Amino acid sequence: MSILLVGVNHKTAPVEIRERLAFNDEACAAGLRRLVDGDIVREGLIVSTCNRVEILGATANDQIDLGAGLLTQFLDTSGSLPAGFLEKHLYLHTNEEAVRHLFRVASSLDSMVVGETQVLGQVRHAYSLAVEAGTAGKVLNRLVHHTFRVAKRVRNETGIAANAVSISYMAVELGKKIFDTLKDRTVMLIGAGEMAELSARHLVNAGVSRVVIANRSEASAQLIAGEFGGTAIRLEQVDEFLAEADMIICSTGAPDYVLTDAQTRKALERRRNLPTCLIDIGVPRNIDPAVGNVPNVFLFNIDDLESVISSNIREREREAERAELIVQSEVMQFQQTLRLMDVGPSIGALREKLQDVARAELARQRKRLGPLTSAQEAAVESLLMATVNKISHPLLNQMRRFYGTSDPDISQAPADTVDPEK
Amino acid sequence: MTSLLLAVLAAYLIAAIHYILAFANKRRSLLRVAEWSTVTGFVLHTASLVADWVIDGHYPLFFLRETLSFLGWALVALLVLLYRYRAPAVGAFTMPLISALTFFALLLGSDSANTPDPLSASWLFPIHTTLLIFAYAAFFIVFMASVMYLLQERELKLKTFSAIFHRLPALTTVNELAITAAALGLTLLTLGMVTGMIWSSIRTGTVWHNDPKEIFALLTWLLYFSLTIYRSTANWRGRRAAWLGVVGFGLVLCTFFGARFLGGYHVFG
Repeated sequence: MSILLVGVNHKTAPVEIRERLAFNDEACAAGLRRLVDGDIVREGLIVSTCNRVEILGATANDQIDLGAGLLTQFLDTSGSLPAGFLEKHLYLHTNEEAVRHLFRVASSLDSMVVGETQVLGQVRHAYSLAVEAGTAGKVLNRLVHHTFRVAKRVRNETGIAANAVSISYMAVELGKKIFDTLKDRTVMLIGAGEMAELSARHLVNAGVSRVVIANRSEASAQLIAGEFGGTAIRLEQVDEFLAEADMIICSTGAPDYVLTDAQTRKALERRRNLPTCLIDIGVPRNIDPAVGNVPNVFLFNIDDLESVISSNIREREREAERAELIVQSEVMQFQQTLRLMDVGPSIGALREKLQDVARAELARQRKRLGPLTSAQEAAVESLLMATVNKISHPLLNQMRRFYGTSDPDISQAPADTVDPEK
Repeated sequence: MTSLLLAVLAAYLIAAIHYILAFANKRRSLLRVAEWSTVTGFVLHTASLVADWVIDGHYPLFFLRETLSFLGWALVALLVLLYRYRAPAVGAFTMPLISALTFFALLLGSDSANTPDPLSASWLFPIHTTLLIFAYAAFFIVFMASVMYLLQERELKLKTFSAIFHRLPALTTVNELAITAAALGLTLLTLGMVTGMIWSSIRTGTVWHNDPKEIFALLTWLLYFSLTIYRSTANWRGRRAAWLGVVGFGLVLCTFFGARFLGGYHVFG
């Protein structure tokens, strides 16, 4: 069997095209049933996310070109685009390249933000839709499970998903770098902006136990406090709570500093010089830059965060190079699995054929043996079968090994060439 | 017991290599190998020390070879004791040193032909030296944790994170490790100095000889004492305390090598 992949992604097609091609769950199920005809396209899978639409199919080895045509045509018609319109946005991969592409997509090497974790879930969802629609057969089952394994390996063996690449997640990363675990830590939000709220959500998910929110409008502070089970306070009360806060996220629209050098020093004395992480995402800045010089205080403003993020992205790209090596070795391994799958049924057929020959011979010579008890009859048959199996077993194994490591094109051969009827 | 020590060295080297690889590549599976070979090395090392004791007939902490080997063993013992803080970085920073100590011990060869100064046969003397060796090992851990602290603190303040930054344990973790090891080291140093004084007073009737090793030991003791006091009153945390941990180790080295280069009462064998 051969594997085909046709698709568009954020690098090859603008959003105007991708949105026309995108499949929702129902369209996906209907599309799969339309695509997989059981004749040329034997199996199918559609991965549709905001950044990509990938159609995966399995065909017989000699029908690759036909299958590729069908897959492309399928994409054209489902986007109701004129034939040939997609040509310059489309990529078509077959066999080894298709496998590599899917491995790279699921490992998030092909993503806009390398190392993001969503895409694996999307592939998993696509697979469950295909299973429901009954279009995932032997080949795609193997391929998809192998893909999950590759993605897991990449995640575990490289640092591709380490290091935050978004501002809201940087708070968690900095917190962990300073405090190790965020359990039992207190975070204070000064100003209840959207970004601050998102950071707080990440922090709470990472284990922060207490959230204190100070905001000019008490109503919105109450709202967020309700969401995180936190405490809402007035802006004037900030000083009282300052000493308890291990992390402070500032995002007010105030025109001047909300937190000054003197305030911070006093709070630090009260918290016995325990380290404090201050994150200032306000523009204009909310925290006096001089605060950054206070010992045991770590202050990050929006530009600092951005520059750390870009260095983290570079770090991820370095890790991606190691991930590519893993993908490469896994592609080779899968190729071998695929060849064995091809040769498996024909070897089974060959074994059955040999057994048939033995049975036919027995039927022909049966009369000469005269009357036998049923036990004797069974003994003769099992003797024949055992002989056939014992002789053919090492030969078949040899064959399996041979085809497992060589060109797939001749894998259809054994059943025909060793056919004793010919 | 050269062959046994050779096996110890092999185990420590395997551990060191795996720790460094785990540190560089962030691989958990490598860490397991490193930890197991550390433990294996430790067990073999213990056996080798016991064998030395039985065969040579004296406590295996007198000649330089024995001291190096014992110091390596004490460091591993502390790593095992402080397993709560185990991390690829801790192993990658200590195991190479431990391997080097073991290697030099091997290089110096056996000196079982010599017999130690009969004065050292008193039961107090081995206790004195053992306590101090462990104190030195603990201060090395303080030094290492302090360096890790300073490296990270600097990058956090400068807001530029290097590859090593992402691989070091969290700031509070190394800080805690330094505090624990400093308290342990100070306790051991105090006990070691007291036993030394008792031994000396039994032997010669004097407690203090004004020799370089004693003076450095006293300075070391004062430094770590003030470090511990300041830390517990919370005036000195973080960077300043970490610098003290680094400077303190310089004094420890002077104490350790003091007698060898400056002479004095503490010269034996």
